[in-house]
Amino acid sequence: MGKTDHLDLLLTDYFRPEAAAPGLARRLASAVGESSAALERLEQRLGIEATSEGISLVRTGRVDKPGTAAARRLIEQAREEIHEYLHGRRAFFRVPVDLRAVPDFRRRVLEAARHIPFGEGRPYAWVASRIGHARAVRAVGTALGRNPVPLILPCHRVWRSDGGLGGYIFGTGVKNGLAALERTTPVLEGCTTTRIVCRVGCIHSRRMRQENRVVFASVQDARSVGYRPCKLCRPAA
Amino acid sequence: MDAERGLMRRVAHGDQAAFTDLAQRYGPKLLAVAGRLLGSRADAEDAVQRALLQCYAGAAGYDARWAVSTWLYRILTNICVDELRRRATRNVHDERLVAGSLSAASSNHRPPAAYLDLHRAFARVPREARILLALRYVDGLSYGELARIRGISINTVKSQLARGKALLRDELGKRGV
Repeated sequence: MGKTDHLDLLLTDYFRPEAAAPGLARRLASAVGESSAALERLEQRLGIEATSEGISLVRTGRVDKPGTAAARRLIEQAREEIHEYLHGRRAFFRVPVDLRAVPDFRRRVLEAARHIPFGEGRPYAWVASRIGHARAVRAVGTALGRNPVPLILPCHRVWRSDGGLGGYIFGTGVKNGLAALERTTPVLEGCTTTRIVCRVGCIHSRRMRQENRVVFASVQDARSVGYRPCKLCRPAA
Repeated sequence: MDAERGLMRRVAHGDQAAFTDLAQRYGPKLLAVAGRLLGSRADAEDAVQRALLQCYAGAAGYDARWAVSTWLYRILTNICVDELRRRATRNVHDERLVAGSLSAASSNHRPPAAYLDLHRAFARVPREARILLALRYVDGLSYGELARIRGISINTVKSQLARGKALLRDELGKRGV
């Protein structure tokens, strides 16, 4: 018992809040400038093309009308998902993409970029070595720059090795905004009433009330305190 | 308690002075929790700032059944946990960081020498238990409040805390403290 007291004391002392630095409150309370204006404008200008198989083009400006009812439905789904994504309520895309018209090398580059986790960045060289062409860094840059479905396939998560932004089809302001957005969007959320953990953007996670949301760092963590993964969105272990 | 809720009402109405008051009242404690969880002072300040902003934006949706501190801690831990997740995946992918992750994360934040052992032992405790320990010892929160903040049962809180402390004791024992 004596040992417990010792640890308790030690911990209490260890966690004692430091005296507040002068001006701390003001610094904390000062609102940071949001870069969401650029993203807001982007959303209004987006045009989306689709085939019956999936989304085939995301660009600003005019695009062709969908040819089939299936394509129209996919476009609607994509619009909704992009809207949620840009408002920090979605951490993955469900809508299928159609890359059949994309040449083989570029398709492999895009598939590699798809494996960059939400909220993170990788250098162009990382993508190049991942597809087995370690020296083709420039070609990777070109392939990403011609990404037919930006946002949905995350070419914005590829940065320069020196930390520079690199280019982006919608401009570097948007690229920066997306990085900031993904940095503040959680990926795994549990519901305190059902004890189920979902990927953010799952229909179940959208139904959670705001005060019932808790964020988890991994499915394993969530399991350790009695949550189970959602059977619909199946967050990876 | 009612004073706090009045404060929240003023924040909800966009009262800047009330918001500064809120930051003043809870800032240091929030910062202590975030600092111990994230390891660096800069990251902690960033997390607290984001938490306060979220609280400012969501003040209208604040439910008076909650204590203001519980509500703030929930928001803050959500942010910190997500930051920890990001770090965990980043470290797996970037081999250079794996070796130095601990020292890199804590380089900005130097605990007193006496606590170095505790600081290192703390990094060995599983994430969820670590979060609960930090909340428990910074503000002396009750089991009920901890359960509410993390959305888990009181029994889970107790078992996690006990497990975390047992691990700490083990680690410290090995180092002969």
